Order: sequence, then C-alpha cells, then structure tokens
Amino acid sequence: MASAGVAGEPFFALPFGDIVNYFTPYTAVLFGFALLFTLICILSRPEQQLDVVFGTDAYYAKGVTGKELRFRRFMSIACGCATMAAMVSGDVFNFTLFVSMVGVCIIGIVAAVKSRHVLDAAYNYGIIAIVATIPLFGGAAITLATTGTLSIWELSAMASGMPLIAKMLIIVGVMGEGIAPFYAAKAELFRAPGAPYVIMIHVSSLLMFLRVVEILLTV
Amino acid sequence: MISGYIIGLIVVFAGVALTFSAFLKERDDVHKLILADLTEIAGLAIIALTATDLAEALIIPGLVVGISELLAVSEIYLTREKLFFQPEKLFTIEVMDSAPGIMGAVLVIFGIILSGFTGGAVAATGMIFYFLCKGHKERFSLVETVSAYAWVLWIAAFFTFMLAPSYWFFGVMMAGGAILAKVVAKMSLIGAMRGESNA
Amino acid sequence: MIGRLSRYLADIDNLTTVYAVVVVAVAAFGILLLVVSPLSYEEEQLYPKSIDPTSPLNPYERGGDPFNRTEVLAQYPENSPYLGYVTSYLTPLSAFFAATSPYMGTTILTHPGGIIDEILYNTRGLDTVAETSILFVAFAIASFLFRREEE
Repeated sequence: MASAGVAGEPFFALPFGDIVNYFTPYTAVLFGFALLFTLICILSRPEQQLDVVFGTDAYYAKGVTGKELRFRRFMSIACGCATMAAMVSGDVFNFTLFVSMVGVCIIGIVAAVKSRHVLDAAYNYGIIAIVATIPLFGGAAITLATTGTLSIWELSAMASGMPLIAKMLIIVGVMGEGIAPFYAAKAELFRAPGAPYVIMIHVSSLLMFLRVVEILLTV
Repeated sequence: MISGYIIGLIVVFAGVALTFSAFLKERDDVHKLILADLTEIAGLAIIALTATDLAEALIIPGLVVGISELLAVSEIYLTREKLFFQPEKLFTIEVMDSAPGIMGAVLVIFGIILSGFTGGAVAATGMIFYFLCKGHKERFSLVETVSAYAWVLWIAAFFTFMLAPSYWFFGVMMAGGAILAKVVAKMSLIGAMRGESNA
Repeated sequence: MIGRLSRYLADIDNLTTVYAVVVVAVAAFGILLLVVSPLSYEEEQLYPKSIDPTSPLNPYERGGDPFNRTEVLAQYPENSPYLGYVTSYLTPLSAFFAATSPYMGTTILTHPGGIIDEILYNTRGLDTVAETSILFVAFAIASFLFRREEE
C-alpha cells in the first residue's frame, strides 16, 4: 500500500470494504476545494441577473426564488458531494460512478431553468453524459479483466498497470462529462442565472479533470 | 494465441463503433436519446466480458446509472418541448375492469415475498397495473418521501456493514427491505406520471 | 479552416456527432491495438465465478451454510471481518425452495443473501451507495419538473 504516485505519499486512508479512499496531499487539496465550494453553495444567496431592454430604461430581474432556489441548491450540494467523493476515491469503478453522478447533478442544476436555449444545451450535454458512461465503465471493466483488480493502490504497485486502451477509454469518458471540446455545452449552461450554483458546474469539471490526470499517471 | 476474451473484446469494440456511428447521421433529438440508450447495452457487454461475480455486481450500477440519466434527460426534453398534454384516449381491455384489485394485490404480495430489486420491480408492476385500471390521484409527494426514507435506510444499511460488521444480518435485511420500498415507490410514480385519467 | 472547425464545434447540436467520432476512433484504435498486441486476460480474478450444475443454487452456489462463513476472494479481506456470512446466507423460504427444486438459482426468487448481495452491500457497498444516489438525483430532477408542470 505504499507506492507514491505523482500525488505524493498518502497520509490517510478511509476503507469502505474493497473500496479504500485515500488522501494524499494532492487529493486532499482537491477535496478541500470541493468542500469549500459546497459550503459556498450552502451558505450564499444566489445572484440576481438583470436584463436591460435595449434602447430603453426598462429592465427586468431574473431571480432564483422559492422552490426553484431550494431545488437548485440541493442539486449543487449533491454535485459538490459527488465531486468530493470522486476526488478521494481509491477505486477505478467507484471513481467512474461518481463522475457520472456529477454529470447527472449538472443536468439537475440547470433543469429548473425555463430558458429554452439553456434547456437545449442541457439536453445535448445530457446525451453526451449518457453515452460517456460507456467508455468510463468500459475502461474500468477492461482494467478489471486484464489486471484482476480495480483498486488504484494495487494498480499503482503493479509493473504493467492499466492497459493503454483502458486509459484512453477513461479519458474519453471524462472528456464527455465536461472537458473541451465538449465543454461547449457547459459554457452554454452558464447562461442560466443563479451564480454560485452554476459555478459548481465548472468547479466540478475542473476538479474532475485534475483528478483523472492523477489517476492515469499513477496507475 | 488470441484468447476468447480478446475476441470478445474486439467484437464488442466493433459493436461500440457501430452504435456510435449511428450518431454521425442522426439529427433528430428523440432518436438521439433512443440511440444513447442503445449504446448502453454495448457498455454493459464490456463489463460482462470479465465474467466473474464481481462483473455481475458491476453491471447493476452500470444499468441503473444509464436508466436514471435517461429519466432525467427525457424529462428535460419534455420540458423543453413543452409536451404537457394528457393522453385523450386511454387504453382499455376487459381484464382491466374485472381484475385490477386481485392482480395488483397478487403481484404486490409476491413482490414483497421476493424482496430486493426483482421484488421491487414485481410489486411496482402490480401497483402500476392497479393505477392503470382504476385511475389514481396519488399523493405524489407522500410516495416520494417514502422513497427518500428508503434511500436513507439503505445508507444506514451500508454504514451497518462498514462500522458494525457483526450485525451483517441486520444490514442485509435492512438493505433488502429498503430497496424493495425504494424500487416500488419510484417505479410506480414514474409509471403513473402523465397517465392520469382523473387527476 | 480553423474558423469553420471552431464554428462547427461551437454549435451544441453537433456535439454528439463530435463525441461519436472520438469514440469510434478510440474503438477502432482499440481493435487495432488488440490485434497487434493482444492483452492477456488475468486468470487470478477477484470473486471468481464457478459453476456447479448439480447444485440447486447454480450459478450462484458458493458453498457454506447459513450463519456460517464461506471462502470469498475479496480485494481487502481485512476490511470486511464478517466476509462470507452474507454469501452463505439463505432465507428460510429460499432454503425450502433449494431443498425442493433443482433450479432455485435460476428462478427470480431473489431473497437477501448470496454472493451478489455480499458484493453489492458489503465489500463494494460504496458503489451501490453511489448508484442509488444517482437514481435519487435523477428522480428528484424528473419529479421536480413534473410537479412544476402540474401547478
């Protein structure tokens, strides 16, 4: 259990049966960042967007209130929790599951918006999120079949490690959940009002990207 | 010497390439959604190729993730297209007038005896059949709350396993019961959505 | 050229097409890679599957009696001190069916207990927690949108 990857020496492991979550300086920092943003989502009030009608003095405010506020806050907290879990996951399949959970939560954050354009982007993002589970789970399954384990601990100790094709599949899967060029759909989602919740979309994909780099370099 | 696993993997990769190439031509949004569901099957085949008990246990999360994403995305589609119409002509056959109560009850009781995922599905079929025949004014939020508490019970079962493994029996029973309640509640709600005859 | 490409990528309706191109390319590369240098299937798997056609619990026969443990090959057995108890457990009803019918394992009588429950609830419980949470979130989205329409 003592191989140091790019992430440095792990200083704390949290075992859940076969799935051992671990905190290295790297994953702990990412975890802390996700935790911080989740707290911001819990505590802060959403922004108010103002639309000025062109050529006049009239404007209208697009606030997030009532049930919609509660729903979106719930979704962004769920997204934060999924991101935190993905940051410290020590198991390839478990990581892919939490990545897909982040994808569903992101759809949820913008689902309450009534703008057709945002919903259009959310729909297209959703389809990519569905099909991205195939390379994600496929990569994990090929890893299991060819190495006999899913644990990142064991994989990093192995000489051969994860096969190239499994790595490629996992990176394609995480790309689908929100790295360029598929980020375009997410950028459109950003037009939705309600700042701290919408920012969660970006934070989660950034953290996911950083984590997948760590995993692929370690195993 | 190429092993059977590799041959299988090559075939599945070919299948993945084939299903994904359908996306290259398809422009219609609903068809894209159906194709996305189709590609899930290819994904499950990659997991199934591992052919251990573990692979079998990994298929269940894989399947559920696909279904739940499909549920969320299709609901987004309905909202975007503003498709809120109620069906005008409802489906009727004779058995729906004569036997809803007994069929529903038999299926629900059998489902409870089975317990677990399958039991939940069977019991929910009974509930949906009953709703389909009799019409329903279900108390949506109440059933939804039941399903949420079942989820909490499930998490509690998980922590029983992790923190107090000597109570494994309790954990298994709790998880089996919780998943029954959860599947019944969710499936009957989803099945009854937008089919109301008198709501 | 770059302008055309970036304009194409910026249209969100084309994203599924772009993603499909990427996946098809990776799959094609995967086939090529497998033909050129085949991966080898690791014979020492966790939770191996064994088939005993004579057992009524086939294909889920893993040995052991209820309330006794059986051998289960987990990743970290030290993390699950009661590993094997769930695998060998049969509810009274399923024990009855196992005694009377030779095909208990292939019916849909899914009672608590058995190897799959051992993996799903115990050793890889966190996977199932994530999975049920995903379903929960998706269901919350669907029911929120559905109930908003009703109002």
